[in-house]
Amino acid sequence: MMKGRKRILDDLDDDIRDHIERETQDNIERGIAPEEARTMALRKFGNVVRVKEEARKVWSLVWLEQLLQDVRFGLRMLRRNPGFTAVAAVTLALGIGANTAIFSVVYAVLLKPLPYTNPQQLFTAFQANQQQGIAEIGCSYLNFEDWRAQNHVFSELGGVVAHQLTLTGRGEPTVVNVSVVTPELFALLDAKPLAGRIFFPADGKQSAPPVAILSEDLWRRRFGGDPKITGSPIELDKRLYTIIAVMPADFRTPFFNKQEVWVPLVQDPVFSTFMPRRGVHLLPVIGRLKPGVSVAQAKAEMDAISERLAREFPAENKGWSVRLVPLQKEITGDVRAPLLVLLSAVGLVLLIACANIANLLLARATSRSKEIAVRTALGAGRARIMRQLLSESVVLGLLGGGVGIALAFWGVHALGSLVPRSLLRVNAIGVDNQVLGFAVLLSSIAGIVFGLVPAVFAVNPDVQNSLREGGGRSGESRNRRRARSFLAAAEISLAMVLLVTAGLLLRSFANLISVSPGFEPQNIVQADISLPQSKYSTPQQWAAFSEEVLARIQSEPGLQDTAVAVPRPIVDNSVNLTFEIAGSPPSSSAASRRADYESVSPDYFRVMRIPLLAGRLFTPHDAASEPRVSIISKTMARLYFPNENPIGKHISFAFSRAEDESAHEIVGIVDDVRDVALGQNPGAMMYVPYAQAPLWGANLVIRTTLSTASVGSAIRREVENIDKDVPVTDIAKMPNLINASIAQSRFRTFLLGLVAAMALVLAATGIFGVISYSVSRRTNEIGIRIALGASRKTILSLILRETLGLTLAGLAVGFPCALVASHFARHLLFNVSSNDPTTLAAVALCLAAVAGLAGYIPARRAMRVDPLVALRCE
Amino acid sequence: MSTKESKGRIGLLQGTLDLLILRTLLLGPTHGHAIAKAIAFHSDDVLQVEQGSLYPALHRLIKRGWISAEQGASENNRRAKYYRLTVKGRRQLQVEISKWDKLTEAIARILRPAERESA
Repeated sequence: MMKGRKRILDDLDDDIRDHIERETQDNIERGIAPEEARTMALRKFGNVVRVKEEARKVWSLVWLEQLLQDVRFGLRMLRRNPGFTAVAAVTLALGIGANTAIFSVVYAVLLKPLPYTNPQQLFTAFQANQQQGIAEIGCSYLNFEDWRAQNHVFSELGGVVAHQLTLTGRGEPTVVNVSVVTPELFALLDAKPLAGRIFFPADGKQSAPPVAILSEDLWRRRFGGDPKITGSPIELDKRLYTIIAVMPADFRTPFFNKQEVWVPLVQDPVFSTFMPRRGVHLLPVIGRLKPGVSVAQAKAEMDAISERLAREFPAENKGWSVRLVPLQKEITGDVRAPLLVLLSAVGLVLLIACANIANLLLARATSRSKEIAVRTALGAGRARIMRQLLSESVVLGLLGGGVGIALAFWGVHALGSLVPRSLLRVNAIGVDNQVLGFAVLLSSIAGIVFGLVPAVFAVNPDVQNSLREGGGRSGESRNRRRARSFLAAAEISLAMVLLVTAGLLLRSFANLISVSPGFEPQNIVQADISLPQSKYSTPQQWAAFSEEVLARIQSEPGLQDTAVAVPRPIVDNSVNLTFEIAGSPPSSSAASRRADYESVSPDYFRVMRIPLLAGRLFTPHDAASEPRVSIISKTMARLYFPNENPIGKHISFAFSRAEDESAHEIVGIVDDVRDVALGQNPGAMMYVPYAQAPLWGANLVIRTTLSTASVGSAIRREVENIDKDVPVTDIAKMPNLINASIAQSRFRTFLLGLVAAMALVLAATGIFGVISYSVSRRTNEIGIRIALGASRKTILSLILRETLGLTLAGLAVGFPCALVASHFARHLLFNVSSNDPTTLAAVALCLAAVAGLAGYIPARRAMRVDPLVALRCE
Repeated sequence: MSTKESKGRIGLLQGTLDLLILRTLLLGPTHGHAIAKAIAFHSDDVLQVEQGSLYPALHRLIKRGWISAEQGASENNRRAKYYRLTVKGRRQLQVEISKWDKLTEAIARILRPAERESA
């Protein structure tokens, strides 16, 4: 049609020329001079421009004009009913606004391609061990080299890890977030620096000079945006690196939150030492698939390589396979489920809003039935009327959508905390063109959804009946009333689904904040002390440093209760190690013994108030020269020493240094601590004295009543007295950090609660509308009943029974739906089952109460109907 | 569409031109100029069609699917578009003719009531 139209219009010029030539020829044949003949032909033809315009109009404007007509009419109708329009537009605006805002997050995080060249080719390659229940873990450097050398499916593979290094020179010492990469990663991501060059393969050689790449942010902050920065030195961990490039602010390498400096793996003081060890799962790996290679092919090839490596190096590689996941999916894995739950929730709210407006429209359509009947009688076709009514509702939808989009613009900033900041930096959230398109589409669809039922009822009226009825006072068709009741009940069902989900999340969150972490975080201040690796390279140096720091800080007034712990529970990443029990057969790789590992100074348990259950705590006598000791957690005792006393047994760690070979005797059992996250049940834990088995860094925990600022300045002063190049960072109250660790969960719960509250209000309005309308329709009937002697109470119960019927029907349908929905959201729940009867009952009661109230207001009006007035109405 | 009158020639009623085009094409497919000529000829030049207004009408008919247009090989090598009545158009012509008959009959009845009674 489109094509035909264009061709015919294009040919019109030829047609007209042909026509005039023929006419001229005719005139000439009649004996008229050629000049005159042509003039006559032109005159007879008329205005060529107008003809063309009219022809074009034939093709283009009919439907558009009708549409404009419908839209204008729709606008007029909306203007004429400002009350209805306002209620409907506000309802819709809330629904569309919520959907647009949440969708903008979903779009930015889950749908928008990652900001790399051909991002669909990017995959992560992790190692996995089914027998040990390890879903994904990094790959050792030697395995990585073999993967690179042996595969034919990836055009390039690169690895990245991250940690912090000290930055000295140029002002106060500080720590910077360093991403440690294999040099290929930058080329693989097609990274374009602001200035300078990216890493070359040569930068990965052992003999290469140390080089570093800066982030734009660090370059501006620390180096004043020096335009000649490349070639200058930067001092990381007391070692000089040459700056070769500055990356633009929006560039990130995957996985890690803060990124300020990139260095090649071989130059990193910590991770480079693990490069020769095939058993250390060091590197998360990213690969770019060659064009035309399928995921299945890649998987098959990597499986083959894994099997080969398992045969060649059974000690390290037996039982390990490779897991390929699209990079985008890997990065967004944790937020996908909560975002989809939220998106479904706001979708349901919009549905409720639509049901509400459909109900309003149905009520109005009843009073408009006469208008429709007149139109039909005058010859308007059903399709035409239907189109007109739908245009009206779409106009209304777009009106509400417009306000909703404005709300979304305002609300979307508040949604930033819904996803981790690392994801935000990768893809900025905002109301962009795609999101706007979604909002407009959604508004139109909403308009059609809530307009359809009323429109269908409107075009199928009994024309004669409608015309005969006065204003249609007593005769609402049975079908229409049924439709309205159905819609109201559906609203109750949808609201129930939302309230149950929100209720479960709320209970989960309440459980989460009331759960004891196993220690008392109140009045604990923590601080990080980072030791430059090059200056403090041996465990002896770490131990000596922390001993001196502890001694100095504990002598400060008010800071006696200070301890060192690496890693600290919740605020640091946990360290999980395999261990062996002396006297027991070594564990097979199928069921290895694993526990979280923490190195602490003697006062740690007292400072953190972790109760001792058996044996003894560490003392200053457990020094490096003394026999190795350890303390285990209750869960570790239960899991690995069933029916025996663990005290006196010896354990040794797979991850042990030469100087720490000997087994540790278990001297005590302490209570469990949630060391990974508040929401994760405590697993097995083992503690060792920092003096005997130090880990790098001196992370402090201090129980004090002093202010954070004065604690911070005291620590800074003491540390500077020992070594002015050692930075002290992250001084903060522990409860604040723990709160921050559940901020996302809190925000999610808050949002879903808000959405559910909206649903409740909308559903209540829906019930109120239906019952009010029903009462006003039945005024006459009620008047008769009262006149015939019905008591007010009877009338009240008559109306309330109608309300109750709707509510019960809604609850009956909503119940199974809610169970399905909460099952879908079960991964977000904590310590509450997805079919928690308390929540279900509370929600049902709450809904029934609110619906009852919504029905009671019109019921009271019905009760007070004056029979005389009511009968006179007719 | 022109409805003005001049010197004994009658402008066309809205929609009538469509009817005339359909009727003309019943005789066989032809080009625009020939249609204009035929209408003028068959009405003894009483019906005045501003020839240009033929084209929007033709396009309207194409759009409704009542006629189709095709590029015809023409005499002396000129590009000429031929218009052909479709099956749907043929049916429509019957409808239009019967409508027209009813209309003229009704109008005649109103304009000449006496004649009808005396007849």
